[in-house]
Amino acid sequence: MASNVKQYKAIGEELWKGRSEKINAELFALTYGALVVQLIQDYEDYDEVNKQLEKMGYNIGTRLIEDFLARSGMGRCSDFREVGEVIAKVGFKTFLNITPGVVHALPPSPTPNRQSNPTPSQPSFTLTLDENPLTEFVELPEDALEGGLWFSNVLCGVIRGALEMVQMQVQAEFVSDVLRGDESSEIRVKLVKYLEEEVPVGDD
Amino acid sequence: MSHHLFLLSPSDTPLYSLSHQSTKQGASASSPLGANLPTWSTSPFSGRMSALAGAPNTAMQSAGLGGGAAGGQDRLNALRMVANASLDVLENVVFRDNGMYLKGLDKFNEWTVSAFVTAGNMKFILLHEGKNDDGIRGFFFEVWELYVKTMANPFHSAHTPIRSPVFDHRVRASAKRYL
Repeated sequence: MASNVKQYKAIGEELWKGRSEKINAELFALTYGALVVQLIQDYEDYDEVNKQLEKMGYNIGTRLIEDFLARSGMGRCSDFREVGEVIAKVGFKTFLNITPGVVHALPPSPTPNRQSNPTPSQPSFTLTLDENPLTEFVELPEDALEGGLWFSNVLCGVIRGALEMVQMQVQAEFVSDVLRGDESSEIRVKLVKYLEEEVPVGDD
Repeated sequence: MSHHLFLLSPSDTPLYSLSHQSTKQGASASSPLGANLPTWSTSPFSGRMSALAGAPNTAMQSAGLGGGAAGGQDRLNALRMVANASLDVLENVVFRDNGMYLKGLDKFNEWTVSAFVTAGNMKFILLHEGKNDDGIRGFFFEVWELYVKTMANPFHSAHTPIRSPVFDHRVRASAKRYL
């Protein structure tokens, strides 16, 4: 298992170095910040803004996974635990050059559930972001803090969209955020069910 | 030796102010006007104000007389008037001079006004006693850096008052180091 982790780290590092098009981090952070501020002005409701960010992330994720699989050439992950490792060490590293920490929380039974099961015995993992390029200069004003804004919610959407394209339905959400004054920024990704081969829902 | 910093937006709205008591020995802290010692009270101040019939004084006079017991707040208001009055001088100088740091812009009793104007027309005004050009220049540059970082926050615009405690803390630390 440990050797796998090292392997993933190495693959991630290679992919990041091999990418010829990189973008200036400040430009990226400023663009995303402007996007969030504009959404807040348009919707005026922080829950709605969170939803919109997640939707945008979903659209990005469905397309990003193709790019990722094409470049990395990674095969199927054997279990949900591996999914978490690959996302953290290879995925995030390739696109954002950060490696969030992963903590797995698997149900007692080793085999993952095959049907949608609302009980808490679903595999999940938590990504801990020590640094977040989206929030370089950001400080949330008071009403955003009170309104419950998850500034980097687009990342949750990306994870959900990407995994849906590889036949996994997940729920990804922020549980804590440094911008809100918490100790660390954490995203919890919970597996809802494995999708059978279905006709994909049309992009609306 | 005390210093008062005012940050003004391009439309001259006050965004931030700070009063700082320096622990360093100033080059020349004493002034010929004996009453202008650190322990100010409103009455001698307003008395002096009325004695020197200058343009900003009339407003200050009313503030001074009206304030009476609220010595500290009035003094701050008076200093704000001084800072505001120096803005006219500042505009003139900026027209002519290209540099950012304008030292010794205006003098009022023993208070000197120095200013720093950024490319975005953001003005940092510092009221200080005595001379401390290098320290003040260093201080202005640091405040400028901190201000740029604050501006990078997407929730902040050129006219929002700066309320961030982080900014405040850093400016105070910088003031301790340079002034």
